[in-house]
Amino acid sequence: MNFPLLCMIGFLFGIGFGYFVQRAGLCFSHGLAEIFIGKGKRICRLFSVIFIITATGFLISGYISPQLGLKPVGELRGAGFYNVLSGIFFGAGILLNGGCVLGTLRQIGEGNLNFVVAFISFIPGMALVVYIIDPLLEHGYNTRNILLSEMMGVDSPWVTGALVLMAVLWLSTILRRKR
Amino acid sequence: MNFKTIFRQPTFLVGCFALLNVAMYLSIKKFWIGGSSFLPMIGITGTENKFLFAFIVNLGVIAGAMIGAISSREFRLRIPRPVDLPRTILGGILIGIGVTLAPGTCTTSFVSGMEMLSVSSYLSAAGIFIGAYIMFKIIWGGK
Repeated sequence: MNFPLLCMIGFLFGIGFGYFVQRAGLCFSHGLAEIFIGKGKRICRLFSVIFIITATGFLISGYISPQLGLKPVGELRGAGFYNVLSGIFFGAGILLNGGCVLGTLRQIGEGNLNFVVAFISFIPGMALVVYIIDPLLEHGYNTRNILLSEMMGVDSPWVTGALVLMAVLWLSTILRRKR
Repeated sequence: MNFKTIFRQPTFLVGCFALLNVAMYLSIKKFWIGGSSFLPMIGITGTENKFLFAFIVNLGVIAGAMIGAISSREFRLRIPRPVDLPRTILGGILIGIGVTLAPGTCTTSFVSGMEMLSVSSYLSAAGIFIGAYIMFKIIWGGK
């Protein structure tokens, strides 16, 4: 598939993502704040649904085509230290900004120009890491891609199955309490 | 509960979002990444233009959100108050640092990474939780 066609299909999928995210009011930044004030049932329910469907779908994809299946997303850097550190920066940023990546894109679409400013503000942060910090840490990164199942020495279906089962039980508990 | 009510339920809508996520992977063998997708803004398009592809998906997300907002009459042009700008800019810079320090993680963790059983995403998710909690305590403190 040539790149322009791939981008066009990706853009169409993006429209679908954006539509559903907007209608559902999904934002992980707001979700985390809800958890911290003790009202996290809504985001837990939504995340459980995403996890159950996506994890099952990604696992099954490996049986449909060998090109698919579970693949590590991103890199494990510095034995995971930089992943946690990047998460801390990101977590602090989304709470301060009032929107995660999904929330920022959604709110730009809803006409909130404050998030256009946030979107543009990503640039100095990214430039700082790519052009200054990355060259300094190049040899300390110890980049590695790994799956949870490989680390545990267990087949992927068992790990995914156990996590999905836990998510289903969690979801059913939340729904039962809601009723 | 009738169909119209079900179609408006956030649980149903995020279910559709998740199905679309799987459908994209099955059809074009690409999954959506959130954070690193902004790297084309500083001229980095990634191997085989993977970040550029993700950036275009993001533009689609903005368009889709706009369609959703207009169709539900929730679209409203809001001009930022000058007093909010320093906080927004600082938040944006922190997000920029976060998404680049360990590429392909952060928000991606919740949508693709954890479902892919990617260890980096679980660590990143733990970091997000810690960072957000620290900022929550700083902003809202004992309130």
